Amino acid sequence: MNLIKRTWTAEEADVWTKEDWLAVIFSSLAYVAIMVGMALAILLIPVGFVVLVFGILCAVFMFWVIDPKLKAISEDYEHKQKEYLKRLEEIETWKQ
Amino acid sequence: MVQFNFLDWFWLTTYILLMIGCGLLFYRLGKRSESDFFLAGRGLPWWLPGMSVYATHTATDTPIWVSGVIYKYGMSGIWYTFFSAWCAVSAFVSTRIFRRSLAYTQAEWQGLRFSGLSSELLRGWVAGWQVFMNMFILGWVGIAMGKVCNYAFGWPTWVGLIFFSTICAFYVLTAGYWGVVMADFQQGVIAFIVILIVSVNGIIVAGGPHAILSKLQDMGQAWRANPFHVSGIWTGDFPLAWFLTMLVIALLGGFGMGTSIDWYAEAQRIQSSKTVRDASYCIWGGTLLVLTRNALWAAAILGFFVMYPNLSPAEAEMGWFRLGFDYLPHGILGFFFAGIVAIHLSTISTHLNLGALYLTRDIYHHYLNPEASEKTLVWVARIATFILLIGSFFYGLMMKEITKWLIFALWIMAAGVWLPNVLQVVWWRFNGWGYLSSWMANLLFSWLVVWILPHYGIIPNLPDYLQFWLLMGLGALIYVPMTFLTKPEPMEHLMKYYAMSRPIGWWGPVARQAKARGLI
Repeated sequence: MNLIKRTWTAEEADVWTKEDWLAVIFSSLAYVAIMVGMALAILLIPVGFVVLVFGILCAVFMFWVIDPKLKAISEDYEHKQKEYLKRLEEIETWKQ
Repeated sequence: MVQFNFLDWFWLTTYILLMIGCGLLFYRLGKRSESDFFLAGRGLPWWLPGMSVYATHTATDTPIWVSGVIYKYGMSGIWYTFFSAWCAVSAFVSTRIFRRSLAYTQAEWQGLRFSGLSSELLRGWVAGWQVFMNMFILGWVGIAMGKVCNYAFGWPTWVGLIFFSTICAFYVLTAGYWGVVMADFQQGVIAFIVILIVSVNGIIVAGGPHAILSKLQDMGQAWRANPFHVSGIWTGDFPLAWFLTMLVIALLGGFGMGTSIDWYAEAQRIQSSKTVRDASYCIWGGTLLVLTRNALWAAAILGFFVMYPNLSPAEAEMGWFRLGFDYLPHGILGFFFAGIVAIHLSTISTHLNLGALYLTRDIYHHYLNPEASEKTLVWVARIATFILLIGSFFYGLMMKEITKWLIFALWIMAAGVWLPNVLQVVWWRFNGWGYLSSWMANLLFSWLVVWILPHYGIIPNLPDYLQFWLLMGLGALIYVPMTFLTKPEPMEHLMKYYAMSRPIGWWGPVARQAKARGLI
């Protein structure tokens, strides 16, 4: 079994899994590292470049982990969206 | 005073015509329906609302605020701008949940999450509050533009406020969110280019990166280049306790909805995205641009500091604008000012449309005229936009000190309801009465803790991070008992919400029931 799951059925993708947590962690790391790395790199401080590259790698990894799951969720949800929109309008107009 | 030549006026006029053209171009799309006027028909690819996230959060007051904190705290002041990083978590958690709800607004989402009287009271309250807040934000951003025009051209402050907001209102009134998001795309690109040009030029004018660092060393201010410099654990201007509080607020806040004042504008961008995936990437990508922009500003303001090390806080706040107005050549100066107009209009347009959304969808459509036709709703939306515009002029002209108002508004919005905003997403048992009581308690406690009790010497003037924790604790004394003393939301209602939104956190009993009923 792969450590990171990259093939999802719609039902599997609806459940919160470790891939979501990895995305959250690496997304946060990417933000911190890209912001700090960029500020230091503009001032040509060598550690800034290292931190910036680390941040970009975090972002790439995050995307690699979460994108297949997001695709599966989105495709499945688009089929259901029409029915949910109908319900939303019923609530809006006090019919439900 | 700044003098424009022909080329400068050319840039500015072309840009303004471009924006007005946007309104005319998307007029037909905007008038089709309520969904088009406020969500562009829920069909946008991620990069369009993503650029709108970036453009909206680059306002005229943003460089004033960022210049002030970087000048005061050095590079570690960049963490004051890191609050926007709630999107790091939100993009993959609350954004996903909210997009699946399909709610137009946060107030409408609460109608799906909660039920009965508490839900209706909440919807009315949050909608009313958002109309007020958007008018208020329009006022303070508008008056910041007034101040910039006063600094640059010597115009009275009301001129900058009224003139540019009125131009903006033209394309928001005609094309609604279509006009907002399309103009935001152009504005975002122009703003990023301008920020890049002015900041890099500012660094060069200060002698270049090496000269800035060496001058800081000579001045005994080398610590200013360290983004992790703190003044102590509890003491000084920039304590570690503040830093950790900010990280908690910024990152954990992404599990909730409304933990940041920016959520309400982002919620609209989330719903305008074509799919759940587009919604996640629009929030993530837009915020990444915001953080990159902050890094550029921070480096430039360090350059400004070495050139002008002894300025008052008010003078320091104009640092980035001075780098543009004082050091760019003619010809480019007009492009710079067009960039300022771009960052201004993007924020104004968003809040005009957002305030009108709450007024139209949550108040008029839901409470006053549920059977309204699409044509009527679009016209109501336009009238609501106009009301927001006029209201913003009054607020703007009343505000003398932007920062003081801004900080208080942010505390009211954030501190006491921060945890309830997370709980409403992650805990099934948290109910509408608990959430409503947290708001009421927070309105009382925030006035007491921030102004009234310190004024009478009952408590000392606390630093902002301690105010945050105190307000959070005081609020919990009210909303936790209130939640347990009132009934949970009906299981039937919660199951429908669960099946649609698939929330994260403690939803075990609801998930089991929904499964048993075959809903999931």
